[in-house]
Amino acid sequence: MTGRHVLPRLVALGGAAAVLTLGVSACGGGEDEITLGLITKQEENPFFVKIRETAEDSADDTDVKLLTAAGKSDVDNASQVAALEDMTREGAKGIMIVPANSRAIVPAIEKAREAGVIVVALDTPTQPPSAVEALYATNNRRAGNLIGRYAKAKAEEDAIEPRIAMLDLAPGISIGDLRHDGFLAGFGIEDGDPEIVGSAYAEGNEDKAREAMARLLDEDPGINIVYTINEPTAFGVLDALENAGRDDDDVILVSIDGSCDAVKDAVRPGKIDATSQQYPENMAREGLEAVAEAVRGGPSPSGFRDTGVELITSDPVDGVESEDEAFGVRNCWGD
Amino acid sequence: MEAAASAAQPEPRAKPRLVYPKFAIPFVLLILCFAAWGAAANLTDVLVGVFRTIFDMSNVQAALVQFAYYGAYFSLAIPAALINRRFGYKVGVLTGLGLASVGGLLFIPASEILVYEVFLIALFVLAAGLSILETSANPFVIAMGPEGSATQRLNLAQAFNPVGANIGVLLGAVLILPQITPETSKVIMSAAELEQSQEEDLGLVLGPYLGIAFVLILIWLLIAFRKMSTPAEASQEEEGEARSGALGRLWANRHYRYGVAAQFFNVAAQVCVWTFTILYAQDIVGVPAEDSGWYLQASLILFLIARFVMTWLLGIFRPSRLLLIMASLGVGLCLVAMFSLSIVGLIAVVCISLSLSLMFPTIYGVALQGLGEDTKFGAAGLVMAILGGAIMPLIQGKVMDEVGAALAFAVPGFCLAMVAAYALFDLRTRRGGGGELVAEGAH
Repeated sequence: MTGRHVLPRLVALGGAAAVLTLGVSACGGGEDEITLGLITKQEENPFFVKIRETAEDSADDTDVKLLTAAGKSDVDNASQVAALEDMTREGAKGIMIVPANSRAIVPAIEKAREAGVIVVALDTPTQPPSAVEALYATNNRRAGNLIGRYAKAKAEEDAIEPRIAMLDLAPGISIGDLRHDGFLAGFGIEDGDPEIVGSAYAEGNEDKAREAMARLLDEDPGINIVYTINEPTAFGVLDALENAGRDDDDVILVSIDGSCDAVKDAVRPGKIDATSQQYPENMAREGLEAVAEAVRGGPSPSGFRDTGVELITSDPVDGVESEDEAFGVRNCWGD
Repeated sequence: MEAAASAAQPEPRAKPRLVYPKFAIPFVLLILCFAAWGAAANLTDVLVGVFRTIFDMSNVQAALVQFAYYGAYFSLAIPAALINRRFGYKVGVLTGLGLASVGGLLFIPASEILVYEVFLIALFVLAAGLSILETSANPFVIAMGPEGSATQRLNLAQAFNPVGANIGVLLGAVLILPQITPETSKVIMSAAELEQSQEEDLGLVLGPYLGIAFVLILIWLLIAFRKMSTPAEASQEEEGEARSGALGRLWANRHYRYGVAAQFFNVAAQVCVWTFTILYAQDIVGVPAEDSGWYLQASLILFLIARFVMTWLLGIFRPSRLLLIMASLGVGLCLVAMFSLSIVGLIAVVCISLSLSLMFPTIYGVALQGLGEDTKFGAAGLVMAILGGAIMPLIQGKVMDEVGAALAFAVPGFCLAMVAAYALFDLRTRRGGGGELVAEGAH
C-alpha cells in the first residue's frame, strides 16, 4: 500500500462505517404502523402537555401513528366524547384517555370498545374502573402516605406539637380521598383526631386555597403543619402565610405533584418542605407501549399499573426515604 | 525611504517545507492522534454524568472518572519521557497507541461485568496510553521537518486537538445521552429490569470507546509497518540531560513557582467547569439529558473561537493584564452560576470557557519567561500541573453532594481567583531577568 493511497482508503473506510451505522439505525423499527389515540383533559396544564409530548416521542419510537385531542378545560366531557368517536372512525385501534368526568365518559368508552378499540385510562380512573382495560396512574394513597410520614418525622425532629390543616380537593373525588387517607395513615392519625385543627376544600385551585388558608389561620393561628392536595394549593397557602405575617420556616408544608415550578421555586428553597413527585411521562410511555403491544397481538393490559412516585425534599429526615431537589428538577414536568 | 529600505532587506528566502516528504503520511497519522486524544479527553466530561445515572452514585464517586483520567496523564508523563529517550519517538508513539487501544478494548469486559471500578481501570489505561502518545507525538512532530517550520507544524497538529475535543463531546451528545434510560423509568423498574437497563446503557458507553480503540489500532498498524527515524532524535539525548541545579533555580524563581500553581488551578478550573456543565444543566435548570450535552458542546465551541480572539488581543494587551481581566471575569461568572439558579446561571457556566480560553498558553508563557537554559525542564513542571484536573473535580463533586450543583461552582471560582492572583502578582512584581514570552508547547 503506497502512502498516497492510504488517506483515500481511510476516508472510504470511515464513510462506509458511517453509512452502515446510519443504515442499521434507520432499520431499527420495522414493525407495521398502527394508529392509536390520546385524549387529555386540556392543552394548557403542563402535566397533560408532558403526557402528550412523551406519547408522541414513544409513538415515533414504536412505529405508531398517534392521533391526539384534548378538552377545553378539566371538566369538558363533551369534547372527549367527540374525540373518542372521531378517533374510532379514523381507525385508531387503541385509545389512551385522561377522563375529565370519570362517570360521564363511560358510555362513549363502552361504544369504542364494542367497536374493537382497546381503551386504557391515564392518571384518572373511570367509574367504574372496569370501564377500561387498565389504568396507568400514580398510586395516590402512597403519594399521600409519603408526605404524611415526612411531616410526622419532621415534626418530631423539630419537637413541635402538631396542629394540622388539611387542604383537600373536593368531596367524593377518589384521587383527593386517596391522598387524604394516605397522608393520615402516614402521619399515624385518623379523621377527627385532635391534631387536625382545621380543614377545607380548595378544589386544587390557588385562589381558593389562599382564601381557605386565611380563614383557617384566623380560626387557629397556631397551625404548624399543612397538607395540600396539590402544588397550586400549596402556592395559595404560601401566599396566605405571608399575608398573615407567618414565616414559612415555622410551618411544615407538604404537597403532591412535582411540577418544575414548585420544585424549583418552592421545594428547592425550602418553602414547600416536601412534595410527592408523580411521573406523567411514565403514564404516557407505559400506556402507549402496552396498548401498541396489545394491538399487535400481545397481551392486553389490565388492572392498575403504578407509574411511580418519589418524595422530593431539600431537607431530608431520618427514616423516610427521599430524593434531593436535583432529582426533582431533573424529573419534573413543565418549564 | 521605502525603496532604500527594500534594497537593504535580504532576498526573500525560500519558505521551508512543512514536513520532509518521507514523513507526509506519518504526519497525517499523528494529526489523527492529536484529534483522538482530544476526543477521548472530552468524552470523559460527558461520562461523569452518564455514570452517575447508570450506577446511581454520588457526584464525588462519578468524578473519579476524571481522577482516573488525569491521574493517569500525570503519572505517565515521566515514564513517557524515559521511553522516548531510551527507545525513540516511534516506539513512544506505538507504546502510547497500543496502551490506549488496550484501554478502549477494556471497555468490553467492563460493560459485561457491570462494575464501575473496571471502567475506571479501562479509563486509566486509555489515558496512560494517550499520555505517552502525547508526550512522544509533540517532539516527533517537531522532528518531522525543517527547524524553520517546526512551530507551524506543531501548531497545525495541535489545531486538531480541539477539533477532536468537539468530536468527543458530539459523540457523547448524539450517541450516549439521548439513548440513556430515563430516570423516571427506573422509578418503576424491578431489580431485573434495572440490571437490564444498566447493561443497555453501558453498551452505549462502549460504542464510542470501541470506535476510538479501532481508530488507534489502525494508526498503530500504519505507523508500525512504516520505517521512520527522525534526524533530530540523536540530539535529543544530549538536550534531555537535566542541567545541574535547574530544579533549585526554578524553585527559587517565584514567577515560575507560582506559575506552576496557577497552571494547576487553571487546568483544575477547566476540567471542573467542563465536567459539571452537563450536571448543572440537568440538576439546576432541568434540561433533559438528551439536550444537556449541547451546552458542553457550546462551551467548547466558544473556547475554540475565543482562543483565536485572545491571540489577537494578546497582541494589544500585556498578557498578565488580559489574564487578570479574564480570570476575574471567570470568577464573576462562577458567582452568577452559584446564585442564579436558572438558564442565566447555565449561560454563565458556558461563558466561563471564554475566560478559560487564553489561560493555558498565557500562564505557560508568563511562567517560563526569562528561564533561559532551564526553559525545557521548567516546561515539564508546567505540564505536570495537569494534576489539578484529577484532584479538583473530586472536591467539586464532594461539595456538590453537600450543597448542590450551583454552590459547588465555588470550586472553579476559587481556582480562577488563584489564577487572577497570579496575574496580579506578575503585574505587581519586577522580574530578576528579562526575557521574552515563551510560546506554549502543548495543550
